[in-house]
Amino acid sequence: MGPELRAAKSGMHGDVSGDELNSVMTALEPDQLISAKEKYHFPRRQLTGGETIVFWALRVYLVFMLGVVVFQLWTAAAPR
Amino acid sequence: MQETTPAAKPRVIVATQSGIVITHEDIDRAHDREQVSVTRARHGFLPRMRLFWLLIGPGILVMLGENDGPSMLSYAATGAKFGVGFFVPFVVLTFLMACVVQEMTVRLGAATHRGHAELIFDRFGPFWGWFSMVDLMIGNFLTLVTEFIAIRAGLGYFGVPPAVAVFGALIVLAVALMTHRYWTWERLILAAAMFNLVFVPVALLAHPNFGAVGRALLTWKPLPGLTQETVLILLANIGATVTPWMLFFQQSAIADKGLTTRDIRMGRLDTALGAALASIAALATMLATVPLFLHHMPSANFEAGEFAQALQPFIGHWGAALFALGIFEAGMVAVVTISTSSAYAFGEVARRPHSLNLPLREGKSFYLVLLVEAAAAAGLVLIPGIPLVYIVLIVNVIAVLAMPPALLFLYMLVNDHEIMGEFVSPPWANVLALGVVIILIGAGLLYGISVISPNALALIGAR
Repeated sequence: MGPELRAAKSGMHGDVSGDELNSVMTALEPDQLISAKEKYHFPRRQLTGGETIVFWALRVYLVFMLGVVVFQLWTAAAPR
Repeated sequence: MQETTPAAKPRVIVATQSGIVITHEDIDRAHDREQVSVTRARHGFLPRMRLFWLLIGPGILVMLGENDGPSMLSYAATGAKFGVGFFVPFVVLTFLMACVVQEMTVRLGAATHRGHAELIFDRFGPFWGWFSMVDLMIGNFLTLVTEFIAIRAGLGYFGVPPAVAVFGALIVLAVALMTHRYWTWERLILAAAMFNLVFVPVALLAHPNFGAVGRALLTWKPLPGLTQETVLILLANIGATVTPWMLFFQQSAIADKGLTTRDIRMGRLDTALGAALASIAALATMLATVPLFLHHMPSANFEAGEFAQALQPFIGHWGAALFALGIFEAGMVAVVTISTSSAYAFGEVARRPHSLNLPLREGKSFYLVLLVEAAAAAGLVLIPGIPLVYIVLIVNVIAVLAMPPALLFLYMLVNDHEIMGEFVSPPWANVLALGVVIILIGAGLLYGISVISPNALALIGAR
C-alpha cells in the first residue's frame, strides 16, 4: 500500500489532504468511487415492441418448461 | 447517467475538504489498482506475468466454481453411462459456450464498474429486474442445497457424519469471509479451487484409452441413442457449465476487483484459462468413471460416496479417496462463490453496501445474506427423508432452462451503446451468443419433448 493510502486508511473518519485524495483518485476511475456509484445510476431505457415480445416469450418458455419439470417429477414419484 | 438520491448514506470514512467522500472500500480497491498501475508501467516478461497474476481471478473462480458438486456428479454419471464417445467433445463445446457468455460479463463489468443485477434494474426497471432476481435466487438456493449434498456425500466417504460435514463447511465459508478483503478472499478461494484438478490423477489411475479420447474428440463418436436418459444427461452437462449465477458472479467480482477497460484482455485470458482448467477437470472426472461403463456396472442415482466406493476396485483406495475429496472440494468452492453471487445481487438491488472489501460493521446485510442463504440450504440437506436425488435433477435442468432469459438481459446490456460505448459486442460475438441461445433453447425443447412424448423422441432418434 502506498504511503498516501496508508495514511488515508489510518486516518479513518478524518479529513485527508489533497495529496491523499489525489492518490485514491489516480488509482480509481471517477465512476469507481462508491459515492459516485451511489449517486449516479444509468437511466432506464424503453423497450421496443419487438424486445418486449421476446422478453415475454422467454418468460412463457421458462414457466412452461418448469411445468414440464414438475410433470416429470410427479410422474417419476407416482406409484407404478 | 442520471443523479439519484442514494437509498442509504454513503459509508463515510474519509470526507475530504473538497466534499468528495471516500470509503474504506475505495481505499482498498485503490490499493489493488495501484499495484496494477505500477506493474503495467514496467516492461519485460516478469512484469507481464505479475500483471496477469494481479488481474486473474474472477474468470478462473467462476469456471472452477461451476465445476461444482452436481456438475462433477453429472460428468461422473456420463462417463459411467456412456464411456468415451460423443460426450467428450460435447463437454469441451459446453465450456466454449461458457467462454462466449462469460466474456460478455468481463466487458460489461469493466466498462460500467457495476454488477449485473444493478444494471438490469437500472436499464430495464424493477418489473423485469425482479423476474431476473427471482430466477437467480431460486436457482442459487437450489444449487446451494446440491453443493451441501456433495459436501455431505464427499466427506461421508471418510465416515464424517452429515451434520459435522455441513456445519464444518459453514465454518469454512465464514472464515473465508473474515479476511474482509477482496484480494485475500480471491487468492484463498483460487487456491482451494485449484484442488478441482485432483480429478486428473484420479483419471490417470483409471488408465484411460487416450487413443479413444482423441478419436472421440475428432469424430464425436460413438453417438449415444436418443433416449430420455440421454437428453437428461445432455441437459445436465450443459447445466454443469452455463448457468445464471455465473453471469452475476463474474460481473460483480470484476466490479469489486476494480477492473477497467484496460484490463479486458487479461479478463478474457482469465476466463479462457478458467474454462481450460475446468474442462480438463470435467473430462478427467468423466474418464475416471469409464471403468464402470466398461464393466457394465449400473450407476443410476449414485451419489458421490457411492461413485468413490464403486471405483475403488479400479483406481484403488487412494484414487477413491481423492475422488471423494474432489467432490467435497467442488461443493465447498461452489458454496462460497454461489452464495457470494446472491449477496452481490441482493446488495446491488437493495442498494446496500456489497463488497468483499467491506468490514463487517459496514457490510452487515451483505455478509448476512451470504451466510443465511448458505445456512438455510445446509439445514435443508440435514432434513431426514428429503429426496436429494430429485433436487440434484431439478437443479441441473432448471439451470439450463433459466439461461435463455438471463442471456437476453446480458445480450441487450452488452449491445447497449449508452452504457458500453466503444465496448459493445462486435458482430462475431453476437453471432456466437445467439448460437449459444439457440443451443440452450433447442436442448430445453428436446428435454420437453422427451418428457411429454417419449415416443416422439424415439421417432426423432430413428431418423
